[in-house]
Amino acid sequence: MTDVHAPVLRLTNVSRSFGPVKALNNVSLEIHRGEVLGLVGENGAGKSTLLKILAGIEKPDSGTIEMNGAEVKFRGPADARAAGVGVVHQEQSLFTNLTIAENIEQHSLAETGLSRVGIQQWSRLNRETQKVLDMIGAKLDPNAKVSDISFIDRQMVEIARAVCIDPGTGKTPLVILDEPTAVLEQQETEILEREIRKLKEFASVIFVSHRLDEILRICDRVVVMRRGSLSSDRPTKGVTKAELFSAMVENQTDAAPHTRTRPAEISRPVVKVSKLSRRGEYEDISFEVFPGQILALVGSSKSGRESLARTLFGAETHDSGAIEINGETVSRWSILKAAQAGIAYVPAERKVEGIIGGFSSTRNIALTNPGEGALGPFLRPRAMARVARRWFDRLDVRPGDISLPLGQFSGGNQQKVVMAKWLNAPNLKLLILDHPLRGLDVGASATVNAQIRAACKAGAGVILIPDTIEEALEMADDIIVMRDGLRSAAHDLHRNQSLGIQDILADMV
Amino acid sequence: MMNKTQAISTPSPVFGVDASSTGTTRYRVVAAWHALAPVLVFVSMLLIVGLLNSNYLKPLGISIVTASAAPILMVALGQAMVLNIGSIDLSNAAISMVGAILVALWLPAMGVTSIPLVLAVTVIIGMLNGAIMAFTQVPSFALTLGTLGLLQTAALVTSDSQTIYVSENREVVTALYNTKFLYAPTTFWIGVLVALAYWALLRFTRLGQGMTAIGKNERAATLSAVPTNWIKIVTFAISGFSGGLAGLAIVAQAGSASASGLGSNLLLPGIAAALVGGTSISGGQTNPINVIFGALTVAFVPIAIQAMGFGAEAQSLVYGLFIITVVALTTTRVRGTIIK
Repeated sequence: MTDVHAPVLRLTNVSRSFGPVKALNNVSLEIHRGEVLGLVGENGAGKSTLLKILAGIEKPDSGTIEMNGAEVKFRGPADARAAGVGVVHQEQSLFTNLTIAENIEQHSLAETGLSRVGIQQWSRLNRETQKVLDMIGAKLDPNAKVSDISFIDRQMVEIARAVCIDPGTGKTPLVILDEPTAVLEQQETEILEREIRKLKEFASVIFVSHRLDEILRICDRVVVMRRGSLSSDRPTKGVTKAELFSAMVENQTDAAPHTRTRPAEISRPVVKVSKLSRRGEYEDISFEVFPGQILALVGSSKSGRESLARTLFGAETHDSGAIEINGETVSRWSILKAAQAGIAYVPAERKVEGIIGGFSSTRNIALTNPGEGALGPFLRPRAMARVARRWFDRLDVRPGDISLPLGQFSGGNQQKVVMAKWLNAPNLKLLILDHPLRGLDVGASATVNAQIRAACKAGAGVILIPDTIEEALEMADDIIVMRDGLRSAAHDLHRNQSLGIQDILADMV
Repeated sequence: MMNKTQAISTPSPVFGVDASSTGTTRYRVVAAWHALAPVLVFVSMLLIVGLLNSNYLKPLGISIVTASAAPILMVALGQAMVLNIGSIDLSNAAISMVGAILVALWLPAMGVTSIPLVLAVTVIIGMLNGAIMAFTQVPSFALTLGTLGLLQTAALVTSDSQTIYVSENREVVTALYNTKFLYAPTTFWIGVLVALAYWALLRFTRLGQGMTAIGKNERAATLSAVPTNWIKIVTFAISGFSGGLAGLAIVAQAGSASASGLGSNLLLPGIAAALVGGTSISGGQTNPINVIFGALTVAFVPIAIQAMGFGAEAQSLVYGLFIITVVALTTTRVRGTIIK
C-alpha cells in the first residue's frame, strides 16, 4: 500500500469556499520525504484553511488528497493523525497540568496499549516517550510537568507529539509547524531551526512563517499563497526576499526604510522611571521616554521587560522605585489612571487580552476611546460607526465589515483594530506595545509600524517590546537591553548607526 | 496604501477573510434566530394552548399569566444583568423577600415614602454583594449563596416568622396590582418599563457596554481600561433594585408578606426566565426585552401543562423537559462559544 517513491503528500486541485469567499482555489502541491517546505502568504491568503484541511479540521469542497501514494479522506482530526499528519499549532495546545509523557501519548494511549483498561502503565509510558524524545533529539524528562518547562521546550513536546505515530506502518510523518517562531525569542528560534534539520532525517515538514529570512534559511522549497492560490512554488536556492515579497502582495507596498531624526528633547519626558523593581521580574530599572521618541526594550523571555511594560500601564505593581508620568510621581497606579493620563497598551496576547472577540470592531473601539462616539455616559451608535469606519479605511482593515464580531477577523486585522482603539485617544501620550507584530504578515506589519510612527510624529512617546532585534533596529531611537531583570546595555541608535544584531545579542545572553 | 474601494462596500465578496469558523451569512442567521427565538417560543406556546382551550386567551387568562409573571420578570431582569457580566446572583429572590417584608412593615407608618426607602435598602444589599465580590474575588456563586442564607435569616427575624398583613395604607400598593391596563396589572407594566430601561442601558451607555464586555472577556475589558470593579458593583446594585421591585409586586398582589409565602420561590423561575429569554449563562449575552417573553413563558408553562391535561404528578416532569427544550431553542450557539 505504501509506495516509497510516492510523495508524502499530494494535493490535486483542492478548493474550499466559505460563502462567497474562495479561501482555496485549485491548489495542487507535492511534498517529498525529507523535504522542508516553506509556506508563506499574507494574513487571509488561505494558509490557515490549507493547514486545517491537512489536519482534518476542514473538508475540501473538491480536489483530492493523497498521502504516501494512497488517496485519503479525513473525516476528522483523528483520521489525519492516523495518516501521519501532526500539527504544531500557533497557540500551544498542551495540557499544562499533565506530564510530558501524558501529553505526547495522549493521542495514542488507546491504540498502542500503553494503558490497560484505562490504567496507565507509567514505566512503559515514560519509556516510549523517551524513545520519541530521543528521536527528535530533545533532552527532556518525560515525567516533568508541562507547566514547569520553558516555552521552547513545550514546543519540542508539541513536535514530539506531532511525529509520534506508529512506526510500524512505515509511513513518513508530515509535521506542520504553524508559525512556530512567532512567539519565540532569537536564541530559541535557533534551537528550533536545529530541530527542523533533525526532523528532515525521517519526516517531511511544512513550515509556516511570516519571517522571510527564516524561510529562506530553513526550507528546501518555498510556496507562496495569494488570494487562495499558489502564486509561486520553487526551490529556495537563489530566491531573494524581494522576490518572495512581490509574490505575496498585489502591489509593492511602501516598505521604506526608517530614516531617523532624533526628536528634540525640549519638553519634559512623558515617562520617567527611577530604580524600579519588582521581585522576580526586574530590578533597578531607570529610563526616560520623551515625546516622539521610540524606546525598544530588548531581551529574552525571562528578561522581565513584559512585566516592566505592564507595570507602567498599571496592570502590575512594583515593589520599589518611582514612576513619573508627565512630570508627576504616581502612587496607587492603576490601569484606569494610566488610561486617563493618555497611556495606551497593546498586549502580546491579542485574543485573550487585546480584543473582546464577541464584540464588533465598532464596540471594541468605543469601549476604550469612543471619541465622538460617546456623549458623556451615553453612546451614539451612528457616531460610533463613523469612528470605526474612519479607522477601517485608514488602516485598510479587511473584511470591511465594522459590525462583524472582531473574533472572526484574522490576527493582523484584529491588531489593526487594537491599534485603532488606542490611537483614537484624544490625548495619547505614551504607547506601550508588547510584541505588536506577533503573527502579522508584511502588509499588516507595515500598517502597524506606520501607525506607530504617526503616533510619534503627533507627539506620543513609544515603548516597544519587539519580536526581533531587526524590528528594534528598524523602529527605535534608543534600545535598552535587559537580561534576567537587569539592564545590561543601552544604545543610542542615532549616535551609533552601525549597531548590529550581534552587538545586541551579546548583551542578551 | 492598498485599494480602498473594498473597504467601503459592505457585504462584498472580499478576499482575505479568515473564514475559519463561521461564514458571515451563517453568523447573521444565527444572530437573527437568537434575537427572535424567545418571542417565537412564547407565541407558539400561546397558540397551542389557545387551540386546546381558548379560555386561556381571554382577559382573565391574560390577567392571571401577567400577574404571576410580574415578580418573576423583575427578578429575572436583575438576574439577566448579572449573568451578562458572567456572574450569578443567587440571593436576588431572597432580597425581594426581605424587600416585601420591609414594605409590609413600613407601609402602615410611612406611607408612600416607604417604597423608595425599601428600594434603597435592596440596592445597598446588592451593592454590598458586588463590592465584596469585586474586592475579595469570592466567586459570585459562592458569595451570593452565602448572602442568600443571611437574607433568609433576616427575613425570618424581621417578620418574626409571621405573615405580615399591611394594616394601613394597603391601597397604596394594592393599586399597583388592581389597576389593570390591557388586562395586565400595573406591576407587569412596570416590569416591561424596567426591561426597556435595562435594554437601553446595555445598548446606549458606556456603562452597559462595559458590562457586556466584562461578560465576554473580562481580562481584555480590564486591559481596555474598563472600570470593571465599579461596573460589577453597579450590576449587583441593579439586581438588588430589581429584587426590591419584585418584593413590591409581591405585596401588591398578596397584601401581605412572609418569609415563606407568595414569592418565596422566585430564584429558580427567575434564572429560568432569564435563560429562556436567551441570556447566556456564561456571560456577555442578554436582551432584557426578550427576558419579558422568557418570564411570560415560565409563568405560562404551569398553566399550559394544566391546559394540556397532564396530572399534577407529571407537572414537574413536563416543566423540566420544557425548560430544557426551550433553552436549547433560545440559547445562542455561535461555534467556539464555551457553554458552562
